[in-house]
Amino acid sequence: MPKNQLTRRGLIVGAVPLVAAGPLVKLALDGPAEAADGSLQSHVHDHAVSGHAAMLGESVPAVGGARDLDGLLYPPPAKPYEPGRVSEHTLVATDVEIEIAPGVFFPAWTYNGTVPGPIIRATEGDTLRVVFRNYGSHAHTIHFHGIHPANMDGVFEVVESGGEFTYEFEARPAGFHPYHCHATPLKKHIHKGLYGAMIIDPREPRPPAHELVMVMNGYDTDGDGGNNFYTVNGRSFYYAKYPITVKRSELVRLYLANLTEFDLVNSFHLHGDFFRYQPTGTGDAWEYTDTVMQCQGQRGVLEIEFANIGLFMFHAHQSEFAELGWMGYFNVVE
Amino acid sequence: MSANVEAAAGGGWSRLWAIAPLALLLAIVLAFSAYGESITALLGRPPPPADQFDVRRVQFHPGEIAVKVTNPQPDELTIASVTVDDAIVAFTLDGPRQLGRLRSSTIRIPFDWIPDEPIRVAITSSTGIETVEEIAAAVETPEATARGALGYALVGVLVGLLPVALGLLWLPALRRTAPQWLAAFMALTAGLLAFLGVEALSEALQLQAGLPTGLGGAGIVLLGVATSWLTLTAISRGFSTGSAGAPRAPSGVALATLVAIGIGLHNLGEGLAIGSSFALGELALGTFLIVGFMVHNVSEGLGIAAPIADGQAAASRLRLAALVAIAGAPTIVGAWIGGYLTNDLLGVLFFAAAAGAALEVVFEVGRYVARRAPGGLSSPFVLGGFIAGVAVMYITGVLAG
Repeated sequence: MPKNQLTRRGLIVGAVPLVAAGPLVKLALDGPAEAADGSLQSHVHDHAVSGHAAMLGESVPAVGGARDLDGLLYPPPAKPYEPGRVSEHTLVATDVEIEIAPGVFFPAWTYNGTVPGPIIRATEGDTLRVVFRNYGSHAHTIHFHGIHPANMDGVFEVVESGGEFTYEFEARPAGFHPYHCHATPLKKHIHKGLYGAMIIDPREPRPPAHELVMVMNGYDTDGDGGNNFYTVNGRSFYYAKYPITVKRSELVRLYLANLTEFDLVNSFHLHGDFFRYQPTGTGDAWEYTDTVMQCQGQRGVLEIEFANIGLFMFHAHQSEFAELGWMGYFNVVE
Repeated sequence: MSANVEAAAGGGWSRLWAIAPLALLLAIVLAFSAYGESITALLGRPPPPADQFDVRRVQFHPGEIAVKVTNPQPDELTIASVTVDDAIVAFTLDGPRQLGRLRSSTIRIPFDWIPDEPIRVAITSSTGIETVEEIAAAVETPEATARGALGYALVGVLVGLLPVALGLLWLPALRRTAPQWLAAFMALTAGLLAFLGVEALSEALQLQAGLPTGLGGAGIVLLGVATSWLTLTAISRGFSTGSAGAPRAPSGVALATLVAIGIGLHNLGEGLAIGSSFALGELALGTFLIVGFMVHNVSEGLGIAAPIADGQAAASRLRLAALVAIAGAPTIVGAWIGGYLTNDLLGVLFFAAAAGAALEVVFEVGRYVARRAPGGLSSPFVLGGFIAGVAVMYITGVLAG
């Protein structure tokens, strides 16, 4: 049989992406209809018979309900600078089996039961006091990025299982900084899930905005030293199933950090618009772009005013990461 | 005397006693299932299950990839996530998501796969363990159509039936051959069959090694070999006591029939291998390969002709046609089975049966030659013939390799 023979069946299959494209275009023009549970009623679903159709709406393999990750996406409000204030937080290390993709369970080590851990927020100059209780089965620490005394660095004061330690230091410099366990073996303690991010607001507050936090990560589920799933905020394809709704022309501020283990870099690419990027959330050098790259531990602040309404995809520009779960949508509305 | 009486009287009871070990075993099994964990706990914590799927078959249909997976382990195994070329894909299941021991499901993935390109399908269990199946080239899986069946049949005729028939055309020439040369050809037959037997045995063992451990070890090969060997022994005894009173080793057409059965079973396996390799996209059925198989199999016809010529037996054309069919037609059947029902367990059994049959016939031919050949088994004609048989198969086999 000659190769690439044109068959009737071949034509029908070839036409599938075209059939799917129609509703997709309509969806992009009209904006999606949102269901009661917050997931998109995908018009594409019925036609999504081709592996090349976009992953969107309820057919997306993502874990959980619409508001499950709100605590990791929406930071607590910024507080105006106030001399002498103590910003108090409690982090508890626990071993939890978390569902990262439908039916796929990861035996994680967590701060406060989630991967990534909770968003810590303080204003520059606050005294940051973090009470750390280790209910996990292994010895852990918390190593904060920032400026602090050596004995508060989360390297030497290893907290044994059942132990407790209070980190106390001045919150500085202003910016967006990661925190993570620094017990050895380091690679294991980080990729198991002991990491999170911390916003230090400048004394002069940033302009008001619709604020979001995204921590990029990966999971090596089969222990081969490579990630099998990639996510932002812990669940693969979560924001493809539940797009993040924002308003057109409104200032959206996205705090983005990379805590992905094993891979050299991770990245963020926004479709259909550009943003200003401030590396580490410090300094005055803003880049105007639609793609940023971060190595493990790097982070920054993105500011966007969407020009158009509709669905705009965001994902790692490493296609492999995107197709292994690190992909979502902004749903821009009037 | 009294013991005999007792045994007779206790006949019924002693039969009941035969059940006692089974009943006791059952009781112990039940007790162990209930309380056994406290014994195994003494040994420490068991390791977690491997959670590897056994990928039975990957089929490519227009716009779809279908993957049949089996759970080879005692613990349950869940199909949680599926990737194609390292991209998570949507899928549906024909069968359960949570597989019990040796249970199967077919994963259907809507996918525009690219013909002739390598592709990688991976299934992730609930514990995150990935089973990866690499496919060298995606080729559309043939549907069971009349055209396809005809194609496999024609290939079977070309590589099985035709060469055997051609080889049998040596019969008139063989009939005029001197006895020591006939003995050499008989030994050549034994050599051919010994080669086929060893080849089939190795194929069976290789396929068996690829089976999930849950489906038994190398013993299954012995099962196939022993069953076909003993069946053929029974058939050959049937031939030899049929007409003559005293049992003797089969000769003439009877021996030729045994040889044909041995070759036929081998060709069934050969057809199976050709059919399944083609269906799985691992084999290009090129001209060279088919010609190779033809040349390889011509000598099989010679092997059937030799005992007829040596026994000075009369054989009608119908008889000869039947012998050709017994030896050659199984290639067609094998190709059909292989083309449409790839099943490694079946493959192991077929190849093991072929090995058993071929080796049994070597044994029968050997007994015959020992009795009939001038100079017996150690005559240079016999030794040379045997080695020549093996060598011919090896050399022509290179063509089909």
